[in-house]
Amino acid sequence: MSAIEVKELVKKFGEIAAVNGVSFEVREGEFFGFLGPNGAGKTTLIRMLNTLLKPTSGKALVAGFDVVKDADEVRRAIGVVPQAMTSDLDLTAYENMDIYGRFYSIPARERKERVGRLLDIVGLTQRAGDLVATYSGGMRRRLEVVKVLVHRPRILFLDEPTQGLDPQSRRTVWELLKAFKEEEKLTIFLSTHYMEEAEGLCDRVGIIDYGKIIAMDSPEKLKGELPEQDTVVLELPDATEEIIRALKEFDFVQGVKQENGTLSITVKNGAHVTPLILSKILEFGKTVSSVSIKERSLEDVFIYYTGRSIREEEAKKVSMFIGAGIPKKLVQR
Amino acid sequence: MIRLLAVIKRDLLKFRRNPVIMFLSLVLPIVYLVILGNSFQGKLKGLPVGVVDLDGGPASRDFIQRLRAIEGGPGTFDLLFMKDQGAAVRQIREGGLKAALIIPPDFTRRSLARRRAQVGLFLDNTDAISAMTIRETMRAAFAASGIEYYPVREERAQKYLRDIDLYKKIDYDQSLVPGVVIMAIFLGTLTTGAFNLVMDRFLGIDESYLLTPLTKGDIVTGLIASGVIITTVITLIVFILSILITGISLWGGVRQFMLLLFVILLTTLGLLSMMFIFLGRVGHPRIVGLLTGFLNVIFFFPSGAVYPIESFPRWLKAFAKVNPEAYAVHAFKSVLFKNAGVGAIWGDMAFLTAFTVIAMTAGILAFKRTL
Repeated sequence: MSAIEVKELVKKFGEIAAVNGVSFEVREGEFFGFLGPNGAGKTTLIRMLNTLLKPTSGKALVAGFDVVKDADEVRRAIGVVPQAMTSDLDLTAYENMDIYGRFYSIPARERKERVGRLLDIVGLTQRAGDLVATYSGGMRRRLEVVKVLVHRPRILFLDEPTQGLDPQSRRTVWELLKAFKEEEKLTIFLSTHYMEEAEGLCDRVGIIDYGKIIAMDSPEKLKGELPEQDTVVLELPDATEEIIRALKEFDFVQGVKQENGTLSITVKNGAHVTPLILSKILEFGKTVSSVSIKERSLEDVFIYYTGRSIREEEAKKVSMFIGAGIPKKLVQR
Repeated sequence: MIRLLAVIKRDLLKFRRNPVIMFLSLVLPIVYLVILGNSFQGKLKGLPVGVVDLDGGPASRDFIQRLRAIEGGPGTFDLLFMKDQGAAVRQIREGGLKAALIIPPDFTRRSLARRRAQVGLFLDNTDAISAMTIRETMRAAFAASGIEYYPVREERAQKYLRDIDLYKKIDYDQSLVPGVVIMAIFLGTLTTGAFNLVMDRFLGIDESYLLTPLTKGDIVTGLIASGVIITTVITLIVFILSILITGISLWGGVRQFMLLLFVILLTTLGLLSMMFIFLGRVGHPRIVGLLTGFLNVIFFFPSGAVYPIESFPRWLKAFAKVNPEAYAVHAFKSVLFKNAGVGAIWGDMAFLTAFTVIAMTAGILAFKRTL
């Protein structure tokens, strides 16, 4: 059975289509990831599935309920970790979770046990009585995750859950999500623009750009669809035009890119041809400081389908659509 | 119910941890008292004065002509001619009249016989400014008719105006207490209820409860309920401090206090509900800041809290008819200074109740459950 079914979903803000005819299904128990740069439409899509935004057209079922007609049932079936931290800073962690449990009419005794256990799992028991304002970013994010599990949702939505966290905190959140997925038998829908997050956590990944899904499959299969090519990265600060020209003369070299003291050489079968490349450079009397062969990643998948790097996209794109920190008035017109 | 209580608890906890707002809610009404108390001056017009002419002779007709001249000229009075002096005094107690002039049956006879003749002027001295204006204008009318005015105990003249304050003397500071209380309610309703929604929206944490099964009714009524608790407690503290400072005694005892509490509660409920109409969709606290001044001007000043409604121009008087604070001030003054019962303020209470129901319904309907 599908946990989420989306058919031709569209959301327009004025003339701008933030989500433009998206269709997909997420299976029960699946860890599904939506990957795309900021402004691609991930948050808008999640907000429609969470009943926070009404679709312009199309249909979406979450846990079997229509997100427009059965919004209340949808809200009971899901837990959502929004992009922004939403816990009350003036309350303690325990109070935040306890009040959240009351919103779902969970009886006092069950609530107390559940909150205590969840706080224990994320290592916040000792600080449960402290105001959330005194928490670090990582602690707040852990609280955000467990807070929405108090009512035992069937489906957990996470919108960029590790944005702004240091690598260690990010890894902690990943481990928590894996553990909760198994323990709570959750279906997880995650949006992210971190490649390693999508690759490391998700059973399937949908790549979204400009409001449309451009590819969807398991990370392995998506990478497998790429033409066979590797990137040999050489640290060579004093590479000359002659060297680049000579490398391009090799049949197996498909492209050479010079950037920040490195040469990125796109080749077929990188492991075999790297010695030949190094020999050629030696002929020019230059020494390579380091060599690495970059395997295909979801970043390459994104480049393959869009012709752009997701990071380049991040840098140049002004967030047009709803996201944390962007005044809603500006984006909803 | 558990969900509603959760909304209330959350709101109360958040308020308790914001001492700045608590402090300002207590101090600002008193600052306003000092500033506004010295800011209002103006000629009163259209003060409703009942005239009961039990004499009908030449002397009384002459005196009434002079009053009509004042009514038609400076317009200080709106004269209402009545037959029953008991009804006239009753209307003062119920707030329909500011004063009643009683001309006794033997006024002309005594005047012509050059015997001691008097007219009675019953004054609603709970409105000190109006009472003083009426007294002075009547005195001038007496002087113009060639009859001297003397205070009650002075027996030198044959005719005199005898003015009677219906209530215990209320000095200026005491007369401002209802205004201070209404101001405390107003500020309380601005910094609780819908304002918390604005802050949640501004901080982006409104999603945390919009994503739960809380209904629009849960959210709006929960925030209003917590706002009522906070505002009522603050207002009661301000009220008790005010009566201690100004020396007002609650001579009606527990019944009077409970009625005042009821007025405070109903006014708070009405204003909190109204705030949801104004602020229900606002997403930035700066807008609240701007609205504060505006709402204060349009609701507080024309409420009669500081200066009588009779001094307003016609259009502002018309607005006062739909201004909930005007009804609250009238009810509060009636109970505080006249120890009036429910019968005297039922009209105010009916208006405030209807206003609350309409405002709360509109507030819930206007509240958007989505982003």
